[in-house]
Amino acid sequence: MSKMITEQNLRLLIDTLVKEGARVVGPRQAGAMTLYEPLTKGDDLVLDQLPRRSAKEAFFPVCETILSFERKEGKTTVQDVDVCTVPETVLIGARPCDAAAPGILDAVFSWDYKDEFFLERRRRTTIIGLACTKADDACFCTAVGLSPAEMKGADLFLTPLEGGGYACEAPTEKGERLMARHPQLFDDAGNAKPLPLAEPAVEKLDLQKIKAWLDGNFESPLWYGIADRCAGCGACAFLCPACHCFDINDEGTADKGERRKHWDACGFGKFTNHASGHNPRDIQNKRYRNRIMHKFKYYDDKFGQTLCTGCGRCIRHCPVGIDIYAVIEEINKMGARDQGPGTGKD
Amino acid sequence: MNSTAQKLETSTPIDTSCYADVTDAIRKEAARILADGTVTAVVGYKAGRRAGTTMPAIVTDPAEAGGLIFSPACVNNLALYLTKAKKDVVKKGRIAIVAKGCDMRALAGLMGESQIKREEIFIIGVVCAGVKGSGAVNSEPLTTGNLARKCRECTVRTPEGADLVAGTMPSLPELTPVEALEMARLEAMTPAERWAFWKEQFSRCVRCMACRQVCPFCYCEQCLCDKNRPQAVESTPRPAGNMAWHIVRAMHLAGRCAGCAECERVCPMEIPLNLLNRKMALEMKELYGFEAGLAPQEKGPLSSYKEDDDQSFIK
Repeated sequence: MSKMITEQNLRLLIDTLVKEGARVVGPRQAGAMTLYEPLTKGDDLVLDQLPRRSAKEAFFPVCETILSFERKEGKTTVQDVDVCTVPETVLIGARPCDAAAPGILDAVFSWDYKDEFFLERRRRTTIIGLACTKADDACFCTAVGLSPAEMKGADLFLTPLEGGGYACEAPTEKGERLMARHPQLFDDAGNAKPLPLAEPAVEKLDLQKIKAWLDGNFESPLWYGIADRCAGCGACAFLCPACHCFDINDEGTADKGERRKHWDACGFGKFTNHASGHNPRDIQNKRYRNRIMHKFKYYDDKFGQTLCTGCGRCIRHCPVGIDIYAVIEEINKMGARDQGPGTGKD
Repeated sequence: MNSTAQKLETSTPIDTSCYADVTDAIRKEAARILADGTVTAVVGYKAGRRAGTTMPAIVTDPAEAGGLIFSPACVNNLALYLTKAKKDVVKKGRIAIVAKGCDMRALAGLMGESQIKREEIFIIGVVCAGVKGSGAVNSEPLTTGNLARKCRECTVRTPEGADLVAGTMPSLPELTPVEALEMARLEAMTPAERWAFWKEQFSRCVRCMACRQVCPFCYCEQCLCDKNRPQAVESTPRPAGNMAWHIVRAMHLAGRCAGCAECERVCPMEIPLNLLNRKMALEMKELYGFEAGLAPQEKGPLSSYKEDDDQSFIK
């Protein structure tokens, strides 16, 4: 029997989870926007807009301490952060573009080095996804293989119903367990129809064709036109659900301090600056090329996935109007013209 | 929409007929000066893929001048592209730039700081009835409700000192200030309240540096805030470093910031950075009778010394 949850019970579920001691993270009002933040009660949840920053920070915080050090009387002690203190978490209200991203990132965070900070949070987090009923002119999930009804990454998936409430599906055991622990909050689904879902106004793109073009066009005049205007900030990367580059800095004094891991962005001029002073990505065009290559080629080469979920945040908030959908749409067209790799310049 | 005050106000449409004339004039002039070799490039705006959006464009071919536009979505201060931070963009020759009145002040400031020479640029000044503020819907027309905060108090709708000025200003509905009220509200706070206000604002900062990257005056090749040996300002997005960064930014721009408010516009976390700029501008005016960007001036008050400078702060 399929299940549903009423709006009221969804809020009650949050209250219950908070009382049980879980960390519940979901979209919450922060000024004019919403952000994924810890919720203290069900009524904190605001689901009518896509949060400004993605849900990745539930696993990969903006900044976190990874060790601390102290020097006393000539002796230095180093204290690791115990990842076992990561709380059980329920991430609630993640749209498909946000819910799909952490699963894509598992590959890189468990590759040559196991990033316990990320992975432990992944293990201890249950994701409650939400089908999307509202797209704006920057949304393009359907262009990159997702959709407003996509359950990928969600442990429990909610679809808004006509007349209120949500149809519930549990694609994973984690989701089933969550429902089983709170049976009183879930009702048998009636005949209510799902609300019409969002329809992003974009073409579906051929990601393999895009990748094939990228394979053969590291040197293309395209790169030298696109990013002239790029200001070199990190707004795109920091709002992105899939960008995952970080820097590590020791901060404090010589006697006491912390080692901190914090978001970094390939758009920054110093991102690839070598200690020698040489910078292989010495101009903005090369940095922007890396952004596209990483998302649509390198990540695919290494892990067989695309590093973009089409949330549109980078389009909405780029200070200089750079539009990643327009870029890959253009590449998609050129890929179709070239009929394969290796036909571009170089 | 970036403030409750704006939300509450009934929106009146703004006459945007001048934008089409301005667009025409920009296209004609850009085609002419590119074709006759007056300039090698024109920095202007072109339409984005999404209806109602625009983006900065660097046009070098007269045949492409027809793609240039001017609309209420032309929010960027293009002076950024003339600074050494963007020296790769146009490598040689005289450059033309489309400049609104507010952008002209940045150009004047950059000339004063010897970053650009007047004879090396060609200024296509444009009259401007205002641009859209943060949160405005792309498809909506310009109204008193979605106008950028800075435009509500604009005094330079028709630029001065340009090589030509495109368009004629329409008459505008009466505009009430929003930012000035917010300034007054902050001024009325106790220092502890103000500290709490900014602490809360800066807590959202993720250090994407968009505020720095779009600022025409943040052209330092080595930003103090990027240094890590020794580290002057914590570069991690945490309370201490965030507060320090925003104070350093405001102080370094005091007497230089020309008030374009680009830092605030681009902040993805909606931190009202222009309030800091305005506070600095106010101090400069009170202490030195100086306003940045009114005229190219070799040295601003904070980089020059005079016998009669106010020294009352030395105790």
